[in-house]
Amino acid sequence: MKDLMRIKSLISQDIETLLNQQIKKEAHSSSLYLSMSSWCDQNGFDFSADYFAKQAEEERMHQLKLFKYVLDMGGNAISPEVSGIKTDFAGFREVFEDALEAEIAITQSFKNIYAKCQNEQDFVTMEFLNWFLKEQREEEYKARRALELFEVIGEEGTGRWEIDKHVNKITYSEQ
Amino acid sequence: MEKACININELINVFSIKQGSIYQSDKLNCFFVDFGGKFARYNCLSLRKLKKVVEDIDIDALLLNTHKADFEVVTFNGCEHIYLLNACEIVALKELLQGTFTMFKLNHLISDCLHRLVV
Ligand SMILES: [Fe+2]
Ligand SMILES: [Fe+2]
Repeated sequence: MKDLMRIKSLISQDIETLLNQQIKKEAHSSSLYLSMSSWCDQNGFDFSADYFAKQAEEERMHQLKLFKYVLDMGGNAISPEVSGIKTDFAGFREVFEDALEAEIAITQSFKNIYAKCQNEQDFVTMEFLNWFLKEQREEEYKARRALELFEVIGEEGTGRWEIDKHVNKITYSEQ
Repeated sequence: MEKACININELINVFSIKQGSIYQSDKLNCFFVDFGGKFARYNCLSLRKLKKVVEDIDIDALLLNTHKADFEVVTFNGCEHIYLLNACEIVALKELLQGTFTMFKLNHLISDCLHRLVV
């Protein structure tokens, strides 16, 4: 008997489902960052607004990268519905706390998919996911560094203004 | 109708239950679902869609909702077939499809071991 399902698609249905869930998560991240950008802009934190707008774009790229992979492997990529995006934040610091928390959740999610791939010996998808694992290193680093500014600079006086100016300068390099 | 056009001997029985069977044709690269008085042809994509549609039916809600008949129309966009099924039949179709996909998985493992791995 021909293995018709495998002929049609390189990835298993379980992996396809997980990747589609990840597509949704990336879309959610993108919307969340845009929401953070809006809040920062309205509260006078222009540099942070730019920083989060850029992050939103990056998350959209992640979504499309996953989307293309699912399709290229013969799967059914699902355009996700995104709802329940937080629009109000208690303060400047909370925005960054939420951002780090969101990135940690994404890293965790990729670890889970990777574990499933390992289980199925889907080395092709594992290799594809390596890019995202490396990306998460940078994403978490930047989010953590931004939050640390609140400790280093402090929020008193012109502190928030100072923090806002520094957020955009955070970069990550491996060396 | 389609039953007359294809040679039943060339079909491979993938999975059967009391209420129906699913066959694969290696020649036509497709499947035939023999269920609910229909002998219907599906490709990989549409068979997966059918499984999803059937799995998504909330059988509890179907039985508990007194304002609706206990029947459900099972079909999807681009599907040439329509099933009108009661709760028992839906459970049976679900079992048939899930059993079939388990057989696909098993067949995949066997194909890998027998034909694909160079020793
Ligand atoms: Fe991302
Ligand atoms: Fe991210």
